[in-house]
Amino acid sequence: MAGHGDSSSSQKKSSEVMNDVPTFSAENLQNNMKVIYYSRTFMSIIGGVIAGILGFTGFMGFIFYFLVMAVTSIGLIAKSKFSVHSYFDSWNRIILDGFMGGLMSFVLFWTFAYDIVHIF
Amino acid sequence: MAEDLVLDTAIRDWVLIPLSVVMVLIGILRYFVSKLMRSSQVPDLKIVKEGQVIVRARNLRAGANFIPPKSFRSRRVYFNNEENGLLFVPKGQAQNAQAQMFSDPNMAMDMMKKNLSMIIPQTLTFAWVNFFFSGFVAAKIPFPLTQRFRSMLQNGIDLSTVDVSYVSSRSWYFLNLFGLRGLFSLILGEENAMDDTQRMMQMSGFGFDPTKSLSAEKDGLDIVQHEWALPKFEHRAEVVLKKLIR
Repeated sequence: MAGHGDSSSSQKKSSEVMNDVPTFSAENLQNNMKVIYYSRTFMSIIGGVIAGILGFTGFMGFIFYFLVMAVTSIGLIAKSKFSVHSYFDSWNRIILDGFMGGLMSFVLFWTFAYDIVHIF
Repeated sequence: MAEDLVLDTAIRDWVLIPLSVVMVLIGILRYFVSKLMRSSQVPDLKIVKEGQVIVRARNLRAGANFIPPKSFRSRRVYFNNEENGLLFVPKGQAQNAQAQMFSDPNMAMDMMKKNLSMIIPQTLTFAWVNFFFSGFVAAKIPFPLTQRFRSMLQNGIDLSTVDVSYVSSRSWYFLNLFGLRGLFSLILGEENAMDDTQRMMQMSGFGFDPTKSLSAEKDGLDIVQHEWALPKFEHRAEVVLKKLIR
């Protein structure tokens, strides 16, 4: 995850100083969103493989997915040094964005790993 | 009913893994083929000009509060006035542009190429899966499903007692189709993900009308409430500098 969060850290520092006038550079914001999307996809794939190997079934797997996503959110917040508003325009971006997008990837890799390890 | 089936390991080695690998490789192949086939369009001068005007107007709107009121007003008049403003579109021209878009054969050709590069590999893979790998259970989904999914997921397995979470290879194909999108965006970069959305945009906006976005931008510029930010900045600077000294 660290490798994916790298590019965001050097940007958008300037807007930290400006609180009453909302100023942000759209390109940097978009780049940060892309970083979120990549790290979420990456984490959902890795989480799927882990869930499959550990042999979670049914609800356990989905709970595990939510857990992984929560960990990703915390990781992203830690990466932005707990000052979310200097990198994103709202909290929802870091917590909710791309939440459902990774679900299909998660299910695929979960099934894949589960089948290979436990079924055959 | 929910007794564990024992699946042959040959199914894993010759169906499950090859299918996934093939779909990944086909996705990569499609990416490079569509990259090769992308013809470099000669951009139309008028469209490029309008696009640039829109970008400039948007910049003005975003940075409106950082310039004095007088400058902002003069710039707005420059864009919006009813005689020769850049964003002002005379009524008669709107139709013309659309008709021109439709008559351009190059664009239709380009779109068809893009669509074909998406549809052909999918149909071929689907036919391949159907032909070789139908009629047996290929995988087990690790979560329970209701009976309603049976006809969809267990196509070609005529046993009503098999648990629904055992699925045929066709459903494994569909799972791959949707689930690999995330993987592609990771290994092929953003371009691939963007391609799909662009394709969607092109499909829906066939008769895309540039004059519409011009007038939308004009309206947006009209309703901007200008408030100059700079007078407050001396105060801010004072606060910030004081904080630095301490």
